[in-house]
Amino acid sequence: MTFVDATLAAGYTVSDFLLLAAAGFTVLAIGMLYRAVKGPTMQDRVLAVNVLGTNTVVILAILAAALSEPTFLDIALVYALLNFLMAIAISKFTVERGGVL
Amino acid sequence: MWWVTDATVAAEAGGSDETGSEPQSAVVVPVEPSPTLRATVSHVVEAAVDGEFSAIHFVEIASWRDGDPGSDDRTAEARRVLERVVAWAEADLDDADGDAGDGVTVVSALIGAEGYLFGPEDYVEVLAGYAEEHGADAVVLDPEYTPVGNTTLLQPLEFALSNTSLDVRTAPVGRPTRPERLRSEATGVRFAAMFGLSLAFYFVLGDPLYWFDWATGVATAAIVSITLSRISFDADPAVPRTPLRLVRGAIYVPVLLYEILVANLVVARVILDPRLPIDPTMNRVRVIVGSGLPLMTLANSITLTPGTLTVRARDSDLYVHSLLPWAREGLFDGSLERWTRFVYYGRSAARPPTPRERDDYAILQGPDATEELPIAAGDGGAVPDGRDDDATDVAEEEVTDA
Amino acid sequence: MDSLGTVGTLRVGLIVAFTLLGLFFSFVSMTGVLRLPDVYSRAHTASQADTLGAGFGLAAVALAVGWEGAGFKSVLLLFFIFVTNPTAAHAIARAAFEEGIVPWTEGDDRR
Repeated sequence: MTFVDATLAAGYTVSDFLLLAAAGFTVLAIGMLYRAVKGPTMQDRVLAVNVLGTNTVVILAILAAALSEPTFLDIALVYALLNFLMAIAISKFTVERGGVL
Repeated sequence: MWWVTDATVAAEAGGSDETGSEPQSAVVVPVEPSPTLRATVSHVVEAAVDGEFSAIHFVEIASWRDGDPGSDDRTAEARRVLERVVAWAEADLDDADGDAGDGVTVVSALIGAEGYLFGPEDYVEVLAGYAEEHGADAVVLDPEYTPVGNTTLLQPLEFALSNTSLDVRTAPVGRPTRPERLRSEATGVRFAAMFGLSLAFYFVLGDPLYWFDWATGVATAAIVSITLSRISFDADPAVPRTPLRLVRGAIYVPVLLYEILVANLVVARVILDPRLPIDPTMNRVRVIVGSGLPLMTLANSITLTPGTLTVRARDSDLYVHSLLPWAREGLFDGSLERWTRFVYYGRSAARPPTPRERDDYAILQGPDATEELPIAAGDGGAVPDGRDDDATDVAEEEVTDA
Repeated sequence: MDSLGTVGTLRVGLIVAFTLLGLFFSFVSMTGVLRLPDVYSRAHTASQADTLGAGFGLAAVALAVGWEGAGFKSVLLLFFIFVTNPTAAHAIARAAFEEGIVPWTEGDDRR
């Protein structure tokens, strides 16, 4: 029995609570999609996708804790790196039209 | 207004005002947002002031067709580019000595939207037609002219143009130069530091007791330090400077976290307020920290504290967008600047006068504005008050390279 | 919360508190990105509220996983997000600035 299986209240465990929180973060991420679709500028979209990516990282980390799958944390780490790279690359690309860094 | 944004009207106006005084020689300049557009405009205006041309036609060749879905947006966008180009040309003419710039007509037009254009020949046909219609005998090309991201168009375009009677040349302007600014000297100490850091990071994720991780880790760290040790450090790590900085940085982190938390609560209240009582402005602050890592630390700290966002770092001038007057005042009080100086240079350096006391700040927007917003410097254009593009890039790169 | 002891109870309490704080700040971030008038002010909440929200979320995860169970990766992630998020926001805002997008001010009707 790991720590997250400890009972929180009324028979529900910490793990259940974390799963619920992950669901909450997912709802917030979906809300952010509105800005990513609507824009109106390129930078608005990049920004929204960047925030969405950060949310995804948090969701992955919470799932790692809730499901006792520590490997999810590695995926979250890689995702965070890619997310950062995406934001920088697109910003650079839109300003300099293909100039590489 | 002596320029107009519609070619036909301009032709009439030019006809009534200026015919007969000079040999009418007009030049056509196809434009498109590009890093060298600003310099190209300057070059053409200079040539006109020297008496080479009496009229400059800036044309944007539409790659779309009127009536297509989305064509209205693209037309509006093209008009904006043209307006900006005309404003630049106007400013350059005003700057020209004496009355030399007075006889020059500046016209802009959007052409080619009647049909689809498929290749360089189509572009040249449209361009030549326009030139003939307006009595132009020369074309000046922006060296980075690439309509709709078609990177291979310039050479074929030049070639196709050379088959017409038009006098073609490419403006002798370069991209804003890209000096070797990211590279510093390679030294053994930097290499070793980079190697150690990468290997440590590798073992944090892997298992230092497993031989396979040693093999892959050493290989990875070697690759990283060979490629990046010249970029990541701009000075050798040294004892006791580097450990001292780390210790002082560790003191700074909780302070920063506290600031972030407090300011976040203030901003959260404003954002969740149904009336949304924000008052955003752009501001400029000159900060006294070294370039490179200290500037990056400061810029990132400013961005992390809610209500302020570093937009540009031009030498030691930070352009900071603030959401609330409260955040703006806090910025001018310069506590983050003092902390950054403390982290990098120690306690004795942490007491400079605040930006407010030095008078090194300005609000660029709104009713309290004390300075103009330098937004026309967009598109890689020149800075209004001098050509310090190179220095600018150095500072900015270091900020973005975390 | 049987058989956890005082430390365990405190730990569970902190996990719950951090998670809720993380959710709250992420909610603020989303509201800001959806409500604010231009890309610069949106970048504020995107870089700051969201960083704090993610920070609290990851802190909760680090507590839940524990040091022995790869919790340090969560701390690493937290540190990483605190460095990269403002940098990314800066890059995006700078791109917007260089594209010539004028920041929204009071009285501008573009929303």
